[in-house]
Amino acid sequence: MGPASIELRNRIFITLLVVSNTLGNLFVALGMNAMPEFHPGRILEYAAAILSNGWFVGGVALMIVWMVAQLSMFTWADLSYVLPMTASSYALTAILGKFFLGDKISLARWSGIALISFGVLLVSETPPWTHSLPPKEEQ
Amino acid sequence: MRWIWLAITVLSSTVGDLVSAKGMVEHGEIEHFKPRRIARLLRYILTHRLIVTGIAFNALSFFSFLALLSVAELSFSVPATAVSYILKTALSQWYLGEHVSARRWLGAACVAIGVYLIAV
Repeated sequence: MGPASIELRNRIFITLLVVSNTLGNLFVALGMNAMPEFHPGRILEYAAAILSNGWFVGGVALMIVWMVAQLSMFTWADLSYVLPMTASSYALTAILGKFFLGDKISLARWSGIALISFGVLLVSETPPWTHSLPPKEEQ
Repeated sequence: MRWIWLAITVLSSTVGDLVSAKGMVEHGEIEHFKPRRIARLLRYILTHRLIVTGIAFNALSFFSFLALLSVAELSFSVPATAVSYILKTALSQWYLGEHVSARRWLGAACVAIGVYLIAV
C-alpha cells in the first residue's frame, strides 16, 4: 500500500468512525425518547417496543459499524492516535444539537469545540503507527 | 455512589480499549475490505479471547455509565469521563508499546479538556 492510499484509508476510517458514532448516539437517544417508562414487570412488552423502534434499531446498527471500523483501524493505527482523532464526534454532536435541536452553544462550549479541533489537528500531525515493528501482515 | 460508578465506567472502558487494541494488533494490518475479508474479520473479532474480553469490558462501561446517569447529572457524568483520554494515552505506552510524543500528548490533553468544556 502506497503512502497516498494509506492516508486516504485513514481519512475514510476517521470520517466513518466520527459519523457512525455521532449518528448512532443521536438515533439511540431519539429512540429512547419515544419509549414508555420502564417497568420490570413488563419487560417483554418493553423489549418488543424497543425492537420495533426504528430509531433505536438504526442507532444500534450504526454502533456496530462504529465498533467494527474502530477495531479494524487498530490493526494499522495506535490506540493513542485513533481515540483523540475521533473525538471530533463530541464537537459534531454539539453543532448538530445547535442546528437540529435548537440547543444554545455557550462560550465555554465553543471553547471546548475549538480545543478539541486543535487537539485533533495536533494528533493528526503525528505518525499513526509508532510501534517499534511495522504492522504485521494479515494472517 | 457517583464516584464508584464513575470509576467503574472509566476503568472498564480503559481496560476494554487496551485489550481490544492488543487483540487487533495481533490480527495484522487490514488492507482490503472485500466481503469475504469482512466475514473473516467478524469471525476473528467474535472468537479472539482478548477482543471478546475487551467488548465485555466496554459493555460493562456502557451499563455503568447508564447507572452513573441515574445518580448524577449529565453535566457531571460526561466531563468526568474525559479523564479516560489521559488514562488510555498513558497506558497505551506501557501495555501496547506505542510511542506517545509530546505533540500527541498535547493533542490528547486538548481533547480531554475540550470534552470537559463541551459537556460541563
